[in-house]
Amino acid sequence: MPAAIVPAAGILASKGNRAMQRIYVHPLPVRIWHWTNALGFVALIVTGIQLRYVELVGLMSFRNAVNLHNWIGFVLVANFFVWLFFYLFSDKIKVYHPELSPMKHFRGSLRQLQYYGYGIFRGDPNPHHVSAYHKFNPLQSMMYQIIMLLLVPLQFFTGLLLWDLKRFSGAVEFFGGVRVVDTVHVLCFIFFVGFILVHPYLASLAHTPSAHFKAMITGYEEVEKEAE
Amino acid sequence: MGRLRNKGAATRAKLRGGLLAGAIATISLFVAPSIAADAADNALSEADTACLGCHSIEGLEKQLPTGETLSLHVSGEAFAKSVHRVIGCSACHGYVDLQTHPAATSDIQSARQYSIERAEGCRLCHGDAFEQHEGSLHAARVREGHPQAPVCTGCHGSHSVSPRTAYETCVGCHAADLAAHSKWLPNAGLHQEVVSCAACHAPAAPRMIDLRLYDGAKKAWVVDEEGAPLFEQLARSADADGSGLDAGELRNLLREINKDAATVPRTLRGRVELRTGVEAHRLSDKAHALRTCDNCHRYGAEPFQNVTVSVTGPDGRPLRYPAQKEILGSALSVESLPEFYAIGGTRNPILDALFVLALLGGIGVPVGHMTLKWLFRKYRAGRNRPGGGDIGK
Repeated sequence: MPAAIVPAAGILASKGNRAMQRIYVHPLPVRIWHWTNALGFVALIVTGIQLRYVELVGLMSFRNAVNLHNWIGFVLVANFFVWLFFYLFSDKIKVYHPELSPMKHFRGSLRQLQYYGYGIFRGDPNPHHVSAYHKFNPLQSMMYQIIMLLLVPLQFFTGLLLWDLKRFSGAVEFFGGVRVVDTVHVLCFIFFVGFILVHPYLASLAHTPSAHFKAMITGYEEVEKEAE
Repeated sequence: MGRLRNKGAATRAKLRGGLLAGAIATISLFVAPSIAADAADNALSEADTACLGCHSIEGLEKQLPTGETLSLHVSGEAFAKSVHRVIGCSACHGYVDLQTHPAATSDIQSARQYSIERAEGCRLCHGDAFEQHEGSLHAARVREGHPQAPVCTGCHGSHSVSPRTAYETCVGCHAADLAAHSKWLPNAGLHQEVVSCAACHAPAAPRMIDLRLYDGAKKAWVVDEEGAPLFEQLARSADADGSGLDAGELRNLLREINKDAATVPRTLRGRVELRTGVEAHRLSDKAHALRTCDNCHRYGAEPFQNVTVSVTGPDGRPLRYPAQKEILGSALSVESLPEFYAIGGTRNPILDALFVLALLGGIGVPVGHMTLKWLFRKYRAGRNRPGGGDIGK
């Protein structure tokens, strides 16, 4: 297990006038989960669009889209448990620990919003400093908890019910009928469409556009070295 | 030769049909008033009771020249419940001469030949259905001499004709074929529940969506009581302008139906059906059956252009009331049609608008942000120059 902070890689060549260091932020299971999830969600969105708009999109037959959508769905459900079990049985779960002080969380979120909406244009530094146990800024922290603990499970659960409505007819009836289940599934789908478009752009707002992408492959984030 | 024989048989059949029509007309003239009177109290006419005096005897049968045994037994109870009770025995068996019955000789050569000949009698009242049936796979198989190909009575029964659903009728012979659907059709069981067989196997026939009232507590279709057609009255009063129920009117109708309901409300369950039962007779070879999903799973698909709401009538037949096609995708359908949804076909336009907004937002926000960053690039460069700004402080 690599150390969280890797001085061996040392202080990297300075970026501009900033001294950089490499920090091991994304463990291997997280990277596997992330890229499987990313590719899977893109495929689910594409096949989902094909299913919903068959008269507008002609990438594949409806039947193939159904089968592909189902298989990828099951792969991602299994992949979700990779994420869940990794964090449940690792101290890295701290990255998801919520900020218990609402005021502190609110101030941090506001600062981050101010940065994205104003400071970034002026060239202000990012108010959030990545470390092994604090890799998310307050906005990410809140958003990822909503996504991973609410929206993704909701999407998988409604998808499972829709996969075999007869098998799960009791549950479908309990939740108000197939149209209710489908509407929830589609609302989550709409959210994920927006997310999958904005997420890579936000990921490009590091000190270099590709820094976060490389980090999600190698596991190492480049961060500014703290002043001695 | 075969064709000549068929032609001859057809001519004989037509001749017999003509004689039969004459017999029916004559008998009906005398028997109809008593039938009408009896129909009111759901009893058999005196003439029919006389026929059943012998024909209700269990085991009554006739030996045919082929060695087969033709059952002559008729269940009086089943016939009394059948839709043909009102026309009586003579309507289909008008050729029987009561003076000489039972005749010493018979021209019935085989049970199959008898069934085919008797089916010709159905044409007299059910001409439209018969015409559709003539172009069907079943009729083609009968003409080819296939011993198991069904004639009218094969699907509808003979003395117990009742408004059975097409599904039950088909499954009677094709039960084994149900499982075969799951080899290629996703959610085959669900499709077989919500799509009538004829909706795919009579590909040229126009389809519709029938939303039937279902009782979740009893786990059965709601049946309108005889003599008190409540459902149609309620639907008519909900449909203020008479243009068919719109989404709001449908919601009001269901609220009215469920106003006294206990915990489990009555709901509408949708099925893809043919617009008329007559069309259901135009069954094709399975190679021509609809197999393409987007016949239904496409916005504006043909089955969704005609919509009715219905309740099962006292005789088992649906009592239908027209509805506007927009109810299928309306936002109110989450409340009024929670149990009917077809991917792509009945989608909600509000969700479509939200999807477009998500697309535009997902593309627009990064593009807008990038543009602003580009516009501010000189400002940032100036601040980054030594003494030019506060970055890194």
